[in-house]
Amino acid sequence: MSLWKALGRETLNHIGTRPGSRAVTLVMVSLAFVVFNTFLLVSWNLERLLQRELQSVRIEAFLSPELTQSEGRSLADLVSTMNGVRSVYYVSVFEAEALFRAEMPEQERLLDLLSGQFRLPASIQVSLEPGWDNETGVRSLAAAIQGLEGVTEAVFGEEYLPGLSKTVSAFRKLLVFLGTVLAVSIALVVAYTVRLSALQRSLTVEIMSIVGAPDWFIIAPFVAEGTLTGLAGALGGLLISAVLSGMLQGAVGHSFLPPRLFWTVVLLGGATGAVGAVLGIRPGKTSRGGNNQI
Amino acid sequence: MLIEIEGASRSYGRWPALDQVTLQVAEGEFVVVSGPSGAGKTTLLRLIWMGDMPDRGFVQVAGFRSDMMKRSHFAMLRRKIGIVFQDFRLLPDRTVFDNVALPLVVSGASGRAVRKRVFSLLALMGLSHRRNSLPHQLSGGEQQRVAIARAMAAHPLILLADEPTGNLDPEASARVIQHLIDINRGGTAVVMATHDPRRIPPGSARFLFLDGGRLTNAESWQDLEETR
Repeated sequence: MSLWKALGRETLNHIGTRPGSRAVTLVMVSLAFVVFNTFLLVSWNLERLLQRELQSVRIEAFLSPELTQSEGRSLADLVSTMNGVRSVYYVSVFEAEALFRAEMPEQERLLDLLSGQFRLPASIQVSLEPGWDNETGVRSLAAAIQGLEGVTEAVFGEEYLPGLSKTVSAFRKLLVFLGTVLAVSIALVVAYTVRLSALQRSLTVEIMSIVGAPDWFIIAPFVAEGTLTGLAGALGGLLISAVLSGMLQGAVGHSFLPPRLFWTVVLLGGATGAVGAVLGIRPGKTSRGGNNQI
Repeated sequence: MLIEIEGASRSYGRWPALDQVTLQVAEGEFVVVSGPSGAGKTTLLRLIWMGDMPDRGFVQVAGFRSDMMKRSHFAMLRRKIGIVFQDFRLLPDRTVFDNVALPLVVSGASGRAVRKRVFSLLALMGLSHRRNSLPHQLSGGEQQRVAIARAMAAHPLILLADEPTGNLDPEASARVIQHLIDINRGGTAVVMATHDPRRIPPGSARFLFLDGGRLTNAESWQDLEETR
């Protein structure tokens, strides 16, 4: 019998014992993952909202009235070649007026009164590449556009962009912190369970050590137990979360976790389970054998 | 020397279990360590299989020295030592065959080699008909013979027996002792701890007396009686 075959047999033997306490652990880990998933679901939807807001940030460059329409379009072409620019849209004087009338019909009369003395300026609307939609990127690009000949003013959401950027940054930090806290809690739940399992199987651990089983051979079944518990707990938690999400969809519109995050949660379950098991069994203590091995 | 203990002391709290013990055991030797309960016999054996380490001095067994042990060394050392306990320490959910096979399985022996060795040992111990039984279905004497078979499975250099007859009736004890003597005649060094050395036939072993953690030599168990 090869060592791997023996290990597989030992692991199956190990997992096949104590179905009652294993079920309790599975429920505990699943519930912990429901909390984790709820947190992830809320934060992911909020993050999407904030991200959408950031992506809608654009620079509007007003052009000098002296520029002809073809000069304005040339300028737009020039801006479209700049770093960080995703797309450029040239708004002519006529289109600007049409837009004004369509968007602010109550002010339409004002425009009629001023016609002849004042015309809305032509402009270039610049949307940004991902990665440039932060305060620093927008500010530097706006300054570069403002420096071009024929541009009178380049504006962006100066009044709200800094706040939005800070909020997104703080939110991401909070996300990482709370995510870590929840992952550690789950690992500790698994660790506690594996420790109980190790105590219940202390005779087996002791005998394995006495007959010369290497540390990894003794620990592997516990790590397999922890990993499987984590994986099953994560899947169970996702299932419960999906049902809850479906039930709440009518009241609060939101999207469920995308496949990328779904599988991340499953992998996280396996990883926290494995880490918990290693913490629970405390490698190094097994090598001594005897009554003090765990 | 197969086992070399030099000035080894071990205390548990303020209680000295072993005090400056020095002992040498050669290959193929049979050593009986006797002494009253709490004398330190089990501690001495634990130091030999390095289930515990000395506070002072050192223990060297089959080339492994207690003050130079790395984690991976423990498993390597244990494969050179077979251990028999008073309470048998068999895995209750495994058959006799699986219990005896354990040391071979964890060292990665092939299935064929495992079967061959286990069947041979079970035949030697008169347990062939019990190979599919669980430990709780066996008598104390049978369980102890399973434990001896397990201890011998990986062809150890040393067999440690900690009160192997402590839970057995006289007939089963005699049979276990005879097995230990036969094993020793086969070339395996045996170190046996017992509170009752009279079961060992004179001339078949070296006798040591341990009391209050201190070790003294004796020629036979009769000498031990006089020492007491």
